[in-house]
Amino acid sequence: MIDRVHLREIDWVLIGLLLVNSVIGILLIYSASRYQPGNFYVRQVIWLLVSLAVLFLALSIDYKILIGFSPYVYVLFILVLGGLLFFGKGIGGARSWIRVTIFGGQPSELAKVALILVLARIFSEFRRTHLSLDFAALSAVVVFVPVAMVGLQPDLGTAISFLSILFGCLVLAGMNKKVLAILLVGTILVSFTGWNFFLKDYQKKRLTTLVNPSQDPRGSGYHILQSKIAIGSGGVAGKGFKKGTQSQLRFLPARHTDFIFSVLGEEFGFLGVFIVFLSYFFFLARLFRSVDKSRDRSGIYIVFMTTCLLTFQFLVNVMMIVGLFPITGIPIPLLSYGGSSLLTTYLAVGLVVNVKMRRFVNV
Amino acid sequence: MKDSPIYEDVSHLLKRSSVIFLVVEILFIFVAFYYWKIQILDYRKYWALSEANRTREAVLPAPRAVLMDRSGSVVLANSVASFKASIIRENSKNFDESCRKISRLLGLDEAVIKQRVDKYKSLPLFKPIVVKDNLTLEEVSRIEGRKMELPELVIETEPKRFYPFTTLAAHVIGCVQELTTDELRTTFKDRKLGDMAGKTGVESSYESRLAGVDGKIIEVVDSLGRKRDELDRIEPQQSPKLTLTLDYDIQAKAEELLTGKEGAIVVLEAKTGGVLALASFPTYDPNKFVNRFTPEEWMALANNPDNPLLNRAIQGQYSPGSIFKLAMASGALDSGAIVDQTTFFCGGSIQIYGRSFRCWFEPGHGPLNLYEALQKSCNIYFYNLGRRMNIDTIARYAEELGLGKRTGIDIPGEKEGLVPSTEWKKKTQKAAWYPGETISVAIGQGPLQVTPLQVAAMTALIANRGARVCPHILREGQGPTGNVKIAPAIFEKVIEGMWRSANMGGTGQGARVDKFDVCSKTGSTQIIGRETAERLGTQKKTHSWFTGFAPRNNPQVVVTVLVEFGGLGGVTAAPMAGQIFQLYKNKFYDRQSSSPGN
Repeated sequence: MIDRVHLREIDWVLIGLLLVNSVIGILLIYSASRYQPGNFYVRQVIWLLVSLAVLFLALSIDYKILIGFSPYVYVLFILVLGGLLFFGKGIGGARSWIRVTIFGGQPSELAKVALILVLARIFSEFRRTHLSLDFAALSAVVVFVPVAMVGLQPDLGTAISFLSILFGCLVLAGMNKKVLAILLVGTILVSFTGWNFFLKDYQKKRLTTLVNPSQDPRGSGYHILQSKIAIGSGGVAGKGFKKGTQSQLRFLPARHTDFIFSVLGEEFGFLGVFIVFLSYFFFLARLFRSVDKSRDRSGIYIVFMTTCLLTFQFLVNVMMIVGLFPITGIPIPLLSYGGSSLLTTYLAVGLVVNVKMRRFVNV
Repeated sequence: MKDSPIYEDVSHLLKRSSVIFLVVEILFIFVAFYYWKIQILDYRKYWALSEANRTREAVLPAPRAVLMDRSGSVVLANSVASFKASIIRENSKNFDESCRKISRLLGLDEAVIKQRVDKYKSLPLFKPIVVKDNLTLEEVSRIEGRKMELPELVIETEPKRFYPFTTLAAHVIGCVQELTTDELRTTFKDRKLGDMAGKTGVESSYESRLAGVDGKIIEVVDSLGRKRDELDRIEPQQSPKLTLTLDYDIQAKAEELLTGKEGAIVVLEAKTGGVLALASFPTYDPNKFVNRFTPEEWMALANNPDNPLLNRAIQGQYSPGSIFKLAMASGALDSGAIVDQTTFFCGGSIQIYGRSFRCWFEPGHGPLNLYEALQKSCNIYFYNLGRRMNIDTIARYAEELGLGKRTGIDIPGEKEGLVPSTEWKKKTQKAAWYPGETISVAIGQGPLQVTPLQVAAMTALIANRGARVCPHILREGQGPTGNVKIAPAIFEKVIEGMWRSANMGGTGQGARVDKFDVCSKTGSTQIIGRETAERLGTQKKTHSWFTGFAPRNNPQVVVTVLVEFGGLGGVTAAPMAGQIFQLYKNKFYDRQSSSPGN
């Protein structure tokens, strides 16, 4: 099924950037967790190898076929997520983890790929220049079902990430400015009712402390404060690899996951932050510039939604850890520890490479 | 698979994508600037916060200096290691729950713990607050066993003041106690909450020389407050030991003699004023106060009607009674009111200013000169002196001899006593002085009040033939502090009377010591009127006084004894003093006089 011509068109630069950022992530994970049990960096290396293999495996299948299967995959994930709500094991207060083999896997992460594919399938048939109500409603329903399920786990971060995919496809489809306004108002309404009826206390606390971190130095505000201290105390060049006191002495929470970027800021300073910003920016820019490298409409949607998802997660995380965004538990793709997250990112980027390598029709 | 190429125009899709990309670029720049602000502009602030996070300064309290007796071989106070349990609020997840657990573990009242923590609430959260000290080893092991469960309860060691001889010289040495918040605001501004400081006695007056310099450790701690590393360590410095003038044997003897009584004994080195012993009874064990949690015991002592906390030697104010005759004799001779051979007749009582005044010896002493009057402590003789001298002259001599004012001893709390004068009476009672009152003062009654220490200092002055000494506890050479304006010859005459008192069957004969030439004067202060005492059929309603020195020439030691309600001075106080003279003679005088070249 894989053609030599297709092989020649593989975007090695994109895969290279993927790897560069993953290696940076592993270094940071090593520094942030080497002193505690779990061997997280070793596990991340294994996950990296698995993800790379899965990526190349996925390249061999034309994305059109994947899109064709996507409704079944989507339904499967809905069933799994629904099942998790009843039978899932809680880790870190959330029921999003399911023990698969020796590694824990998070189905809600992989659901992002399923979501991208099923939305691409829906919009591949959409030929108008502006979004119509029926398509908007359909895609919203398709996204909000898993959002509700994941949000109830409760895993607010992943649920919000799903919304970034929806946002991507609606914008691409030409969402009316009026609809955009309605959506924003709707979001506010949903947040309001969610605040009053659905959000758990710890989630509310996370949101309120964004406004005033010093109000509760030992609670959620403490996390933001410690993270800011870590980053700010890094200065220009940082305290040195493995020498960040905030992280090594465990003042920083979730060091190898959500707050991995704070470890970078502390140990490598603004220079390190700037370099990783650049390398990540190149990676995201490469994705953005891949939007027009598609032979059909569904390809464009796949590339753009993937790009939106990864960009959203990166920006929200780096803003969250300095208090510019509420702490919602969104990891940085590639940098944060997490097998499911890594695999999901590789699969999603794999889809982009898949689209790009098959962009020439007459071969 | 057959794919159809895109023939339609998708440029609007690409345009939307590039708009989003532009927004992303702007966000990137914005976020980069924000990181620049935190990491470059606010670097110092966050760096300081991270240092404060990771380092903790712990105090290593300095042990207090050792106190020695004059020989330099008996330790009167030292420091021993003790354990204390402290709560670190930062490590407590639920404070009420912690208090409950700690109160059960240590057998403390929950309210006491909370009160304690409340007192220290101004301290940073990671600072330990002591909830119980002087832990037993059993308590220490119990706390260690619950370490994982109760990370907020920690055990610290600290040097603790220890008085090996418990009550010995408690009133001189004093004790240490935890500083109150008021004291920290006023007198101890450089100290910290929870510090101990001298409250009374030498511990208080030489606080700065005893306290030493606290050391500190700068530790690296993790977010749970666990120590990870030590960055710097400054060892605490103990101050050099202080040697006191107290003599262990004499002090112990004085306290032994006072046991079961209420009173005071002061023993001075005659020439220097160094305090060889200063005992006050009843007494207390200062070890019981060297902790933070004995309000009950403290209250019990403070409310004890016998008042063991009172240092009777410097704070008790008593009528001097016949002891005052020493001052009267000196004053009368110096002012020319009499000469030594001036004789008065004692018939047991005398009429002065239309009132009858009686001698303590009802049959009467017959004719006496000054020496005999001092020897027998005849009241009639001194009534006559009172008639010849006015009150202000008497007051001037009393003050010259050091009565009615603080001696300046180097422990706090000394009382002044009182020497009445016409001015004093005008000021306090807005009334004129009646000559009849002078007659009472002449035998040491009336409003006169002295402390045993004043009497001892006056005795030293007489023994030194007019050279004044300042009583002191610290053994750092202090000699005479000047001379009074009375000729030595006058004191020789008074001393002759005192010598007769002890050695020629006078009132002080109980204090006589073979080959030690004790010179003395006794006193029996009337607390209630003679009539009342006779009605009650007792003579015990008097305070028993003795003061004296030895030997007559080249005086070395002064002994003053006061026993409250002790009866006659010659009966109770004099024999006690005699034992002390004997002890001194054995320990110092004999060795001295038998050594060659002395």
